Amino acid sequence: MVNPSGGTPAAVDPGRFFEAVTRELGAAAVDTTAEARRRYGENTMPGGERAVLGVLFPGSSADVQIIVRAANRYRVPVYPISAGNNIGLGSRSPVRDGQVVVDLGWRMSRILEVNEELGYAVIEPGVTFQMLHDELVRLGDRLMVSATSGPPLGSVLGNALDKGAGYGPHFDHFGTLCGLEVVLGNGEVIRTGEAALQQGPAGNSHVSRYSFGPVLDGLFAQSNYGIVTRATVWLLPRPPAIESFHFVFQRDADLGAIIDLIRPLKLSGFVPTLFRVCNDLYAAGTEEPSPEYAATKGRTRISDAARAALRERHGLGAWQVSGAFYGASAASMAPMINRVRAHFAQIDGCRFVSHEEARHVPPLAIAIDSMSGRPGSAELGLLRWRPGGGNTWFTPGTSMSGRQALALDRLGRETYDASGMDYIIMHVAGARFARSLHVLVFNRGDPDENRRADECYRELTRRYAELGIGVGRAPIDYHEEHMSRLMPAFRATGQAIKRALDPNGIISPGRYGLL
Amino acid sequence: MDTAAAGAVTEAAAIEARGIAASCNHFGFCTSTCPTYALTHEENESPRGRIALIGAMLESGAAPDPRTVAHIDSCLSCLACTSVCAMKVDYMHLIDHARSHVERHYRRPLADRLLRRFVAQTISRPGLLRAALTLARPARAFRRLLPGRLGPMLELLPRRSPGGADIAPGIHPAVAQRRQRVALLAGCAQRTLAPQINTATVSLLTRLGCEVVIPEGAGCCGSLELHMGRGRGARRSALRNIQAWLAAAQSGLDAILINASGCGTTVKDYHHLFEHDPSWAGEARRISSLALDVSEFLARIGLGATVSRPYRVAYHDACSLRNGQRVTRQPRELLRAAGYEVVDVPEGHFCCGSAGTYNLLNPGKARLLGERKGRHVDSSGAEVLAVGNIGCMSQLSNYTRMPIVHTVELLDWATGGARPPSLAGLPPPAGAGLRASPGEGASAAAGGVGIW
Repeated sequence: MVNPSGGTPAAVDPGRFFEAVTRELGAAAVDTTAEARRRYGENTMPGGERAVLGVLFPGSSADVQIIVRAANRYRVPVYPISAGNNIGLGSRSPVRDGQVVVDLGWRMSRILEVNEELGYAVIEPGVTFQMLHDELVRLGDRLMVSATSGPPLGSVLGNALDKGAGYGPHFDHFGTLCGLEVVLGNGEVIRTGEAALQQGPAGNSHVSRYSFGPVLDGLFAQSNYGIVTRATVWLLPRPPAIESFHFVFQRDADLGAIIDLIRPLKLSGFVPTLFRVCNDLYAAGTEEPSPEYAATKGRTRISDAARAALRERHGLGAWQVSGAFYGASAASMAPMINRVRAHFAQIDGCRFVSHEEARHVPPLAIAIDSMSGRPGSAELGLLRWRPGGGNTWFTPGTSMSGRQALALDRLGRETYDASGMDYIIMHVAGARFARSLHVLVFNRGDPDENRRADECYRELTRRYAELGIGVGRAPIDYHEEHMSRLMPAFRATGQAIKRALDPNGIISPGRYGLL
Repeated sequence: MDTAAAGAVTEAAAIEARGIAASCNHFGFCTSTCPTYALTHEENESPRGRIALIGAMLESGAAPDPRTVAHIDSCLSCLACTSVCAMKVDYMHLIDHARSHVERHYRRPLADRLLRRFVAQTISRPGLLRAALTLARPARAFRRLLPGRLGPMLELLPRRSPGGADIAPGIHPAVAQRRQRVALLAGCAQRTLAPQINTATVSLLTRLGCEVVIPEGAGCCGSLELHMGRGRGARRSALRNIQAWLAAAQSGLDAILINASGCGTTVKDYHHLFEHDPSWAGEARRISSLALDVSEFLARIGLGATVSRPYRVAYHDACSLRNGQRVTRQPRELLRAAGYEVVDVPEGHFCCGSAGTYNLLNPGKARLLGERKGRHVDSSGAEVLAVGNIGCMSQLSNYTRMPIVHTVELLDWATGGARPPSLAGLPPPAGAGLRASPGEGASAAAGGVGIW
């Protein structure tokens, strides 16, 4: 089990730190009430809540700079969050005890510019998918945000900086950021790309990622070197029509063939979106809680008979595959839909679900919304699959080789079964790689189940690592675990950069395994 | 219901409420959608914080803490939290129960008690409300001199007497052949504040082949008292309606229609209001199963032929319709089918601050929310604002200059009815197709960014 208090230097003088920040930013920017401290330390991890010293609400980059300088002066660790909807990965909670949360979501939530000609928006960390979507709709709905299927009120920047992803052509959210503004751990402000030019107007800073000098942007993806206070995000034109397609497959073992059939569709660029490949529990779990939990008390996984009944109730199969075309009209895309349909018909028992039909199948409608850049909250239903509020996400991946995907699927099922966990998984598949989102939903109120969930995660990590496979994003309980599996020189380099940019180690010590 | 039975109902409700409070897992998705949390960023001004406070209040044997009461009072009951709650916490019934508990166990300051009694007893009685408005209108000029919440309350008064007469109870026969027979809840405040809504509703429904019954005995749905914690009064109002509609149903009823969505949410929930009352539980269930928002019913039967006037219409989701009843698609589809160009109001999940009697009892926060919504309405670039709830219409009239109509007024106009009074003098449509409709794809006219 994680030790949240390990490795964090104790804050030297939090009292004087809060006084200093209150003096400079006003009392409304500081909250040290018991309620706030408790809530900001809550999460869904097996390792439990974290002890938070207080919460700050800056309103600008200058405010953030004041906070960081004060944090250095009084040696108080600060933990920036954006919208705080990082569910399954830590919510708002710091990795370790004894930190001050800097909540950028309240007063730094401005959409500073939307450029419809060039397709970008300049935003602050508190801007959520829903806010950006609403603004784009207000402007005429010509552009669309790359939505996730996660909380609509999650932060666009927070998701991108944690290497989150969507489903459309702009799925690589960090890859669509440009011109970051960052308050470093030493209190300095830098801008990246052409935004770093000292003189002149914005020029190309919103449209060119690679200009003279090192590409520093990457330093701020999954790191604790600075606090990103604004960035440009590129947006996709909304097509006149979006036509999704869906297939339902009956057997767990169909996964290998599914992956092999998706690969050529993505390698050639025939299908512009990624593919959602959800197993039965991932899809049906958004609609109803585990039907067997009350009987098993979570000691064993759901039975095959109950899985079959779930599939029957919701019109689902062992796997659901969804993708979409963007085009001028539904008619113009009909031949492509037919092509894909014939392609997947190679798998015995494959059932096609049309765009119109899928609108009325809630787990499939989630794919339509997210591939159409419409944020939705339907997938949050997964969190009540088991009671007690425990939830972590294990996020390895597979190459787009059916053989490997199937082997990993068997490994995953075995590991979940051994811990009495229900195997809930979605692959988000591209041309060469699929990110495999393994969901663990468990009862934190049951110490035995909580322990088994923790062990399951660690065992998955160990067994995947033996195959040379790591993770993408990680729950805060396991940042140290994942960093410890990287080569020592990698970690040492990360620490050296940390010392250079944040010499007193005041930004999020412990996050991503960097102190 | 006798005293013992009433006690049993209260105890059953308390058990239910404790269960609801315990079902919160503190994920906190609700906080971002909660208008009062967005304004204050104070934990106890969020649904999550209120759930914890209510849980503690119910567990405690003591009188409610004034701070807890203030946070409960400050809740809009907009139910935006329920639209993102992963645990599907039944916040609607929890907050109603909390209000009822406060009403029974907490003694408010005298001025507060008087104000609440005045609001509860006046608004739900059309005659009294009409008299109060007549008396209060001259006082509007002196509103800044009035103490406490009286001044802001006068701000909310309609500037003019509404045009048109209140529609008469009775049977309004279908034009041409009768296809359906429906009951319409004429309501209470709406009859006084905007009688043209009921007139347009009856005009539209009868033209579409519906016989419309407005039973003499039906009136306030009870929501006003329910949301003020006065459960008994609410049940009395609800019972009157149930009895009136059951009598009407003896000649057959295809639906009970409500055109004020705040009332619709309550009528659809009558089954819950009476679930522990064996005398009326079955009848209440029957009434709830027949209840529909007028837009749900119209989407079911279709509009028939329309005259297209392609005004750009911003559609505002009343919280009671969006979150309480989950009716969002039908009003938009109907308006589009009637030839209007429909755009959404940004930040649609946020309450406008009306929330029943909220803008009367909590004018400060209501004003902030009204101003915020008004800015969004104005930014939509629409020519007309359509709303499905009288409360939002009254509130928003203070914060936007855009003409405001009920959705049925526009539908009635498009199908041969009268021009809505608030659109008198509206210039012809500026031009269609300038804005997109938020389906999956963009509208053809919205192009210019990509090529497909």
